[in-house]
Amino acid sequence: MMNRIMHLLPQELAGIIAQLPMSSMRELEEIRIRQDRPLEVGFGGRFQFAGADGSLHARPELAYRPDQTVCSKLLERITNHSLYAMEEELKRGYITVAGGHRIGLAGRTILNQGEVKAIREIGGFNIRIAREIHGACAGLLPKLLDWPRKTLLPTLLIGPPQQGKTTVIRDLARCISAGSWEHPAAASWPGRKVGVVDERSEIAASVRGVPSFDLGPRADVMDACPKAEGMMMLLRSMSPEVIVVDEIGRQEDAEAVREAAHAGVCVVATAHAYDLEDARGRPVLRSLIDEGVFAAAARLRKSQAGIEFDVISLRRAGAPAAREPTLSEQKQAIARGQPR
Amino acid sequence: MIKLAGALLVLFAGTMIGFYQAARFAARPRQLAQLAYVLQRLETEISYGYTPLPEALQRAAESGVEPVAGVLREAARRLAEQPDSSFRESWEAAVTDRWSDTAMRANERTIVLRLGPVLGISDREDQMKHLRLALLQLKSEEEAAREDQTRYEKMSKSLGLLLAALIVILMM
Repeated sequence: MMNRIMHLLPQELAGIIAQLPMSSMRELEEIRIRQDRPLEVGFGGRFQFAGADGSLHARPELAYRPDQTVCSKLLERITNHSLYAMEEELKRGYITVAGGHRIGLAGRTILNQGEVKAIREIGGFNIRIAREIHGACAGLLPKLLDWPRKTLLPTLLIGPPQQGKTTVIRDLARCISAGSWEHPAAASWPGRKVGVVDERSEIAASVRGVPSFDLGPRADVMDACPKAEGMMMLLRSMSPEVIVVDEIGRQEDAEAVREAAHAGVCVVATAHAYDLEDARGRPVLRSLIDEGVFAAAARLRKSQAGIEFDVISLRRAGAPAAREPTLSEQKQAIARGQPR
Repeated sequence: MIKLAGALLVLFAGTMIGFYQAARFAARPRQLAQLAYVLQRLETEISYGYTPLPEALQRAAESGVEPVAGVLREAARRLAEQPDSSFRESWEAAVTDRWSDTAMRANERTIVLRLGPVLGISDREDQMKHLRLALLQLKSEEEAAREDQTRYEKMSKSLGLLLAALIVILMM
């Protein structure tokens, strides 16, 4: 994992990072490089300044200061010597590199008719090290299974920022498309076609259209695509069985989620909210919840032991099913004694 | 007898030197046109294809002919093999290394070297401007090279033979 970030750094910086103490190296979260200012590293929720010999200090005076040559070399390497090919990325202010790591950029912006066109004279880099956690959804997936349809319930994942929503949804996508349902009775279920709309390149961290993270064998990713449009495009072109989307909240997102639900596609989405009550306070989310588009809501909390889940069932009697069950499914349901 | 053989050898060598010079005069405008062509290809790759520079160099080199394409290929190779050097360093090293394979002169070399510090580090429009400027300059060099060709190509052929003849006469 670190190798993939190391090859992006110029020799001077790579040397320092390689000499960091092992304990902080393991938990490395951020490397902040600011031109002519102290080099800062973030690990395990803390920050320290790094000296030229890889030692860590609380005081910035002892830290190594990357100069202009180092910064321009770094920029050349993270852009593959091709700044012109990164127009979209520069507009958004970050570059995603192989391995899913994200490099935030700060500098002087160029405006075009009041909108940011690009960043030039880049003087600040924030390398955020991505870690994908296989099995992050192991505690959640068994509670979200849709037994009659042998798939997943349409689910809304809610939680405040930094609680691991994206990590969980990424792992959900992987499990669903790989068909590893984390439940012994569901072991024979096939994997499902998963469509991922990845507006901020966080779920799949695609590099040139190919996901860096493992999303299983049956996932299609619409990278850097507005969520609403991306969902509609996937519906039209990729015939997904499950659509995974991050951070819904705008009116047009709700329209697209509704459209997908009525097309018989199971939508798994995340939303910023403290809990279900909080989510109901947002008009767009409330209408989706009340209409029964989602069959379950899961609240995420990060704790010492990992990510904890609270699953709340949202399906009320008489709520519209996302899709009419097919004849064979109905027969199976009757055979089980639970006709719908 | 040996004298005659020597004289023939001098004549032959002189003629060959003359022909070599003439060939260089003929090759220069041709290679300049080829250089303009590969740079144009590079511009297309950059402006329409958004192709990353190492790959764009490789593709432009593939569409061109040796020895001109060799300069771009060398630059691409250096970029791939020495990731720690900047594009400018790779480009300058490649041009210095491969320029002697071509019939081109110092003027066009400066034009090409000027691309080193600018390629890859600005937005698309800027890249296009720099490449267009280089193309324009190469065009005027090409015209000058064609004039030189008409003026000096035949002359250097006969000059080689005549100088050799002069040496032979002096030796005799």
